[in-house]
Amino acid sequence: MEPIKYVDALNEHYGSMGFPPYKWTVNDVAPLHRPNKPLNESTVSILVSGGISQCTMPGFDPEARNDHRVDAIDNDVSSADFQIHDAYYDHSDAERDINCVFPIDRLREMAAAGEIDAVAPRLWSGFMGRIYNRTRVLEETGPAFVEKLNEDGVDILLAVPA
Amino acid sequence: MGLVCRVAEERGIATVCVSTGRDLTEQVKPPRSVFVNHPMGNNFGPADDPEMQLRIMRDAFQLIETATSGGVLVDLPYTWPTGFEYFSGKRRA
Repeated sequence: MEPIKYVDALNEHYGSMGFPPYKWTVNDVAPLHRPNKPLNESTVSILVSGGISQCTMPGFDPEARNDHRVDAIDNDVSSADFQIHDAYYDHSDAERDINCVFPIDRLREMAAAGEIDAVAPRLWSGFMGRIYNRTRVLEETGPAFVEKLNEDGVDILLAVPA
Repeated sequence: MGLVCRVAEERGIATVCVSTGRDLTEQVKPPRSVFVNHPMGNNFGPADDPEMQLRIMRDAFQLIETATSGGVLVDLPYTWPTGFEYFSGKRRA
């Protein structure tokens, strides 16, 4: 099937809820950092944006807007220890198996098999959808997040928008 | 998410985005993306399918090594067994 046209669907959906028209970010070019080591020597982390939190943490606001919360998740937690609060996607499969959207078991297996060097000490969940104040991501919360990746010696970030 | 990837890349961390929203990703243009035509939230496939999950992860990591210019978007060949629609609050039956 053809990919869903989310831009049109979201414009219609948000418009019907009385929100002002969303000003989409459109970029013509993108930066690229080419890694200086192979995958099997790389430390990898994951960032997922689907309202996923550990059961001991407060749930995300399923209707959140402009929520810059990012949770650090220790790399050895059980994949059964998660809850999902996000009204904007169907997370019934992810509730059964978090790896469909946040593949922590698979990443640990890749490390054990030597396909990557290591899972970073911290994995991440946050930057949920509907962030309207994007300048803040670019200038404040994004750089602060990246600083934490650097503290952990992360070479590669697997990013999962949901 | 795409914006965060751009910030990371500017600061020396290689990123790859596993996207289920092709048009959204095209607009934001993260440094590297693979597109999977699955429902949002099934970025790595169905529940309890570790082989598919691993395959999509390996495809994503491969792009880390092969991409030579920023903004690359690769369509992965996987399909979803049933049709699906934009999610407006109702769960799949």
